[in-house]
Amino acid sequence: MALSTIVSQKKQIKRKAPRGFLKRVFRRQKPQLRLEKSGDLLVHLNCLLFVHRLAEESRTNACESKCRVINKEHVLAAAKVKSRFLFLSKN
Amino acid sequence: MADHNPDGDPTPRTLLRRVLDTADPRTPRRPRSARAGAQRALLETASSRRLSGQTKTIAKGRSRGARSIGRSAHVQARGHLEEQTPRTLLKNILLTAPESSILMPESVVKPVPAPQVVQPSRRESSRGSLELQLPELEPSTTLAPGLLAPGRRKQRLRLSMFQQGVDQGLPLSQEPQGNADASSLTSSLNLTFATPLQPQSVQRPGLARRPPARRAVDVGAFLRDLRDTSLAPPNIVLEDTQPFSQPTVGSPNVYHSLPCTPHTGAEDAEQAAGRRTQSSGPGLQNNSPGKPAQFLAGEAEEVDAFALGFLSTSSGVSGEDEVEPLHSGVEEAEKKMEEEGVSVSEMEATGAQGPSRAEEPEGHTQVTEAEGSQGTAEAEGPGASSGDEDASSRAASPESASSTPESLQARRHHQFPEPAPPPGAAVLSSEPAEPLLVRRPPRPRTTGPRPRQDPHKAGLSHYVKLFSFFAKMPMERKALEMVEKCLDKYFQHLCDDLEVFAAHAGRKTVKPEDLELLMRRQGLVTDQVSLHVLVERHLPLEYRQLLIPCAYSGNSVFPAQ
Repeated sequence: MALSTIVSQKKQIKRKAPRGFLKRVFRRQKPQLRLEKSGDLLVHLNCLLFVHRLAEESRTNACESKCRVINKEHVLAAAKVKSRFLFLSKN
Repeated sequence: MADHNPDGDPTPRTLLRRVLDTADPRTPRRPRSARAGAQRALLETASSRRLSGQTKTIAKGRSRGARSIGRSAHVQARGHLEEQTPRTLLKNILLTAPESSILMPESVVKPVPAPQVVQPSRRESSRGSLELQLPELEPSTTLAPGLLAPGRRKQRLRLSMFQQGVDQGLPLSQEPQGNADASSLTSSLNLTFATPLQPQSVQRPGLARRPPARRAVDVGAFLRDLRDTSLAPPNIVLEDTQPFSQPTVGSPNVYHSLPCTPHTGAEDAEQAAGRRTQSSGPGLQNNSPGKPAQFLAGEAEEVDAFALGFLSTSSGVSGEDEVEPLHSGVEEAEKKMEEEGVSVSEMEATGAQGPSRAEEPEGHTQVTEAEGSQGTAEAEGPGASSGDEDASSRAASPESASSTPESLQARRHHQFPEPAPPPGAAVLSSEPAEPLLVRRPPRPRTTGPRPRQDPHKAGLSHYVKLFSFFAKMPMERKALEMVEKCLDKYFQHLCDDLEVFAAHAGRKTVKPEDLELLMRRQGLVTDQVSLHVLVERHLPLEYRQLLIPCAYSGNSVFPAQ
C-alpha cells in the first residue's frame, strides 16, 4: 500500500538491475540455495561497486603507463591487486 | 490565431466575432476599462489555472479590443475607418481568413455563451461534450496540463459521433486526428456525399492500397510469366528480404526450387490442390514419422487453401469448387494443427516435407527454410510451391512464421481482403498458436550451447558496459573480454561466499544479512559507511525503497521487517 501511492510516472529506471540474470546465475551456481527477494538487488549493488573499483584501478594503471587506451594488462593488474577482496586466482 | 486552437466548441474565431459584435463601442471609457480590468483579472486567474492558449488569446484580444474600444470611443462613434487598432485588425482577420472551423458548423452554433467571461467558454465546451453524450470526458477537461490533449480527444470523439450521426455513410470517425481538419473542411464546406471515395481512402488507408481486383487475366498472365522467366534473380533478391533465411544455403536451394517450381507452377490453380496432396503423399512416405508429415500436409493444404483462396478470389476463374476445398482444407488444417502441435519439433528435426526430396534432416530444414523464404517471396505466383514452402518455412522456423504472414499479406496487397479474412483469420489464428507451440519444446539442433551462453553473456555485457563507463577511457576489445572473465570469476566467488555465510547462519536461504557481511568483508561497508548509505548512493529510487525499510502512514513499515 505504500508503493501504491507512488505516481507511475517514473517506471523507467535508468540503470536497471538485471534481476532475472542475477537470479539465474545464482540458481545455476548453487541450485541448493535460495536467494531472498531483495537479495539480488544487493548483489547488483555489490557488482556495481566491484566493477567501479576495478575500473578505477585499471584507469589508474593506464594513466600510469601513459597509455590513452585501457589495455588488457592494466585490467589484469587491477584484478590482481584487488584480488584480496575476492581471492581471484591470478590468471 | 484561430487555427492552432482546437479547444472548445466555439472557436476563437466565433468568440471574437461575438466580442466584436456585442461589444458596444459607445460605452464610456471608464466602465469599460474597469470592466476590462476586472476581465483581465478574471482572465489572468483563469488562465493561470488553465494553460489554454485559447483563453489567453481571447483574453488578450478581448482586453485589447475593450481597451481600444474605450480609447477610440469618444473619438468616433463606430469604428469603420479607424486607425490600425487591434479591433480592426481582428475584424479584418475574421473577414479575410478562410473559414476553417475545426468543428461542424452546427456544433458551433449549439451553445452560445456570454462573451464576457472566459469561464463559460470552458463550461460550454464541457456542456457541448455533455450534449453529445460524452460526459466521461468532462473530468478530463479539468486537468490543467492535459487540457489541450483531452480537448483534442474530446473534439475527435465529438466529431466522430456527430459525423456518424449526420453522414451515416462516410467512415470519418476512424482517423480524426490528422484528418479532422480535412474531413471537417470537406464536410463543412459540402455536407453532401459529394466525395465519398476520397475520405474513405483517407480514412482507411488499408482499403486505399487495395484497389478492386479485376485482375483475373493479370494473375494468370503473372503466373505464366513467372513460370516462363527464370526464377533465380527474383529468388536471390527476395531471399534477402527474409530476415531469417540462411543465405549460405540459398544458392543450392535455388537449383532445388527450380525443378520444383516449374513443375508445380505448371499446373492450374485448380489442379494444384490435388497435385499438391499427391506430392505431399510421397513426402509422407519419405519421412518416417507419419504424424509430422501429416501435420505438414495439413499445413500445406491449409496454406494452399489460403493461397488458393486469394487466387480464386482475385482471378474469379474458379467458382465454388475452389472455395469448398479451401474451407475443407482450412478446417482440416486447423484440426491437424491442434492435434499435432507437439510433433512440430519432431517435424523440424526431420526437416519436414519438401515434396520428393530425401535429404538429411538439417539439410532439409535449411532447404525448406530457404525455400520457404523464396516461397513467401513469390507467394502470389506459383501458389502451390509457395504454399509448400510456406508451410515448410513456417514449420521450420517459427520466427519466419511470423514474418511469412506479414509478407504474404504484403504480397497480396493487390487482391481483395474480404475473402481473405475468413481463411486468413483461420490461418493467422492457427499461426500464433503454432509459434507458441513450437517455442515450448527446445529445438534439438546443433546450436545446443548457444542459448545457454548467450543470455549469460548478455547479462555480463551489462556490467561490462558499466565498466567502460566507469573507466571513462577508451578500452580495447581484449580488455573487455578480460573484464568479462573477471566478472565470471567474481560471480562464482560471490556465490561461494554467500553459501558459506548462509551455512554459517544455519540457513539455506541467502538473506540480506549475508550480503551485508560479504560487503563488510570486502571493505565496502565500514563502521562509518553503512549498507544503507551505499544503497542510497548507488541504487535508483525504486530499489532503495525496496531495500531500506521506511515508515509510512497507518503505522506500517515497508518492506516489512
